[in-house]
Amino acid sequence: MNNADIKVLLVDDEEMIRDCVSAYLEDEGFSVHCAASAEEALESIVSISPAVCISDMGLPGMNGEEFIVSAYALCPYTGFMLHTGMLYTLSEELQAIGMTADDVILKPIHYLSKLVDKIKLVAAKGRPF
Amino acid sequence: MPPKSSETFFKSESRYRMLVENSCDIIFSLDTEGDFVYVSPAWEKILGHVPSEVVGHNFREFVHQEDIPRCETTILKAIQSNSTQEVTYRIRHAERGWRWFTSRGTPHIDENGILTIIGISQDVTERLRIEELMTQTEKMSMISGMAAGMAHEINNPLGAILQHAQNIERRVSTDIPANYKAASEVGVSLDLVRAYLQKRGVFDFIGHIRSAGMRASDIISNMLQFSRRGDSGVEYVDLSVLLDRVMKLAGTDYDMKKKYHFNLIRLQRSYDAGIPPVRMVVAEIEQVLLNILKNAAQAISSASMNRQPLITVRTGLSEGMALIEIEDNGPGMDETTRQRVFEPFFSTKEVGVGTGLGLSVAYAIITNRHHGSIDVRSCLGEGSCFTLKLPCRGGGNEQR
Repeated sequence: MNNADIKVLLVDDEEMIRDCVSAYLEDEGFSVHCAASAEEALESIVSISPAVCISDMGLPGMNGEEFIVSAYALCPYTGFMLHTGMLYTLSEELQAIGMTADDVILKPIHYLSKLVDKIKLVAAKGRPF
Repeated sequence: MPPKSSETFFKSESRYRMLVENSCDIIFSLDTEGDFVYVSPAWEKILGHVPSEVVGHNFREFVHQEDIPRCETTILKAIQSNSTQEVTYRIRHAERGWRWFTSRGTPHIDENGILTIIGISQDVTERLRIEELMTQTEKMSMISGMAAGMAHEINNPLGAILQHAQNIERRVSTDIPANYKAASEVGVSLDLVRAYLQKRGVFDFIGHIRSAGMRASDIISNMLQFSRRGDSGVEYVDLSVLLDRVMKLAGTDYDMKKKYHFNLIRLQRSYDAGIPPVRMVVAEIEQVLLNILKNAAQAISSASMNRQPLITVRTGLSEGMALIEIEDNGPGMDETTRQRVFEPFFSTKEVGVGTGLGLSVAYAIITNRHHGSIDVRSCLGEGSCFTLKLPCRGGGNEQR
């Protein structure tokens, strides 16, 4: 799969995090969309239909975990990743939708190139078509 | 039968004597020079010296040097004000270390006009230890909460620093066609821009931003250990096997070999074979043990001593908990340092040598993650001893 064919939705309330991650991913050729909150992301996720959605954990309002559970109900073919600053053990709800410890990315990301590899992996297994 | 009064009860000297001689606290009498005139049998029971080693000897021979001035002031005050005064200080035990006592003394002039101080001394070592432990727990939980909160807050800005440094490198790289396009749109050559950045050391600067960010990130991830929860990777482990492995590991550690000459330190093992397996996250307990061993080796190598460097590792059972003791015969530490060793960022090492996080992370791992306790006793000039207690199978203290 070509990077340009992979749509990524990035959900983070911190503008600088959205900027720095999206800049890198765009340079890698991905098609990147950003949302500043879970609510904003839920409004657009169906129309974007991303292959991969990376969500911050500590969002204002609905948190990352709750967002992923709601978003999964709308877009079951999207692969989800959780971006968090705290050491985190995957909740049962997230495990139930097939997420594993590998889908949790700890802040700060040391090597964005590794994130790129993970996105490709998640995109490859998330889409049955 | 006439009613009993305290007056008639105590008329008999034998009753006074019985009270004094059976008291759990020490009853003493000191002359104005500070020599013991009398000590009750409790002294021998608590402190191990026979009365002949004490009576006729000066109190200064038994009291910790740092505490002598405080005792002298209290005695003087009692005499000058003719009142009861109280002081807390350390007395040397005949065989092992120091014990804390609180004494209340009152001046007394006998029928021959001789002035003495008569007093009663209570062993408060255990009470002080528990008080210190409680203060320490409270202090650590506050500091830990703050450290974890700070770590979390710092992660986002640190992420931006680290990731934008990578973005800058990418935006001048020759791998991305968009870079050539943007350069030509503004009328510059990407190759010349790169040559300029190279010549002025800008690539190195960016590299330094990245490596500095990584270092900060390692510190943050250590701080996050404070808030760590969960049960991942828990297993039952034989302490003897674990300790042998950790000591072997320490022997192969580069710093331990080169800087602290770990191979010159004699390692003495004294394992209790009857300890049941201990439930733990192996990697975390290994980290704690390595840290203590490293500190011990570092302390030993930093001091010039006239004795063979020695680290003693003991295991045992205490009140249903598995006990690990790591004792060194290094330079030891003073009381102020000892009380602060588990605080984050407290370090006696030179700036840049230690982050001051090792023992505070060890504290969090043992107390928060393993429901155990960690404690240190130390004597300046003689060495330090770390005591770890961990719940073990069948010990009755095991938690989920």
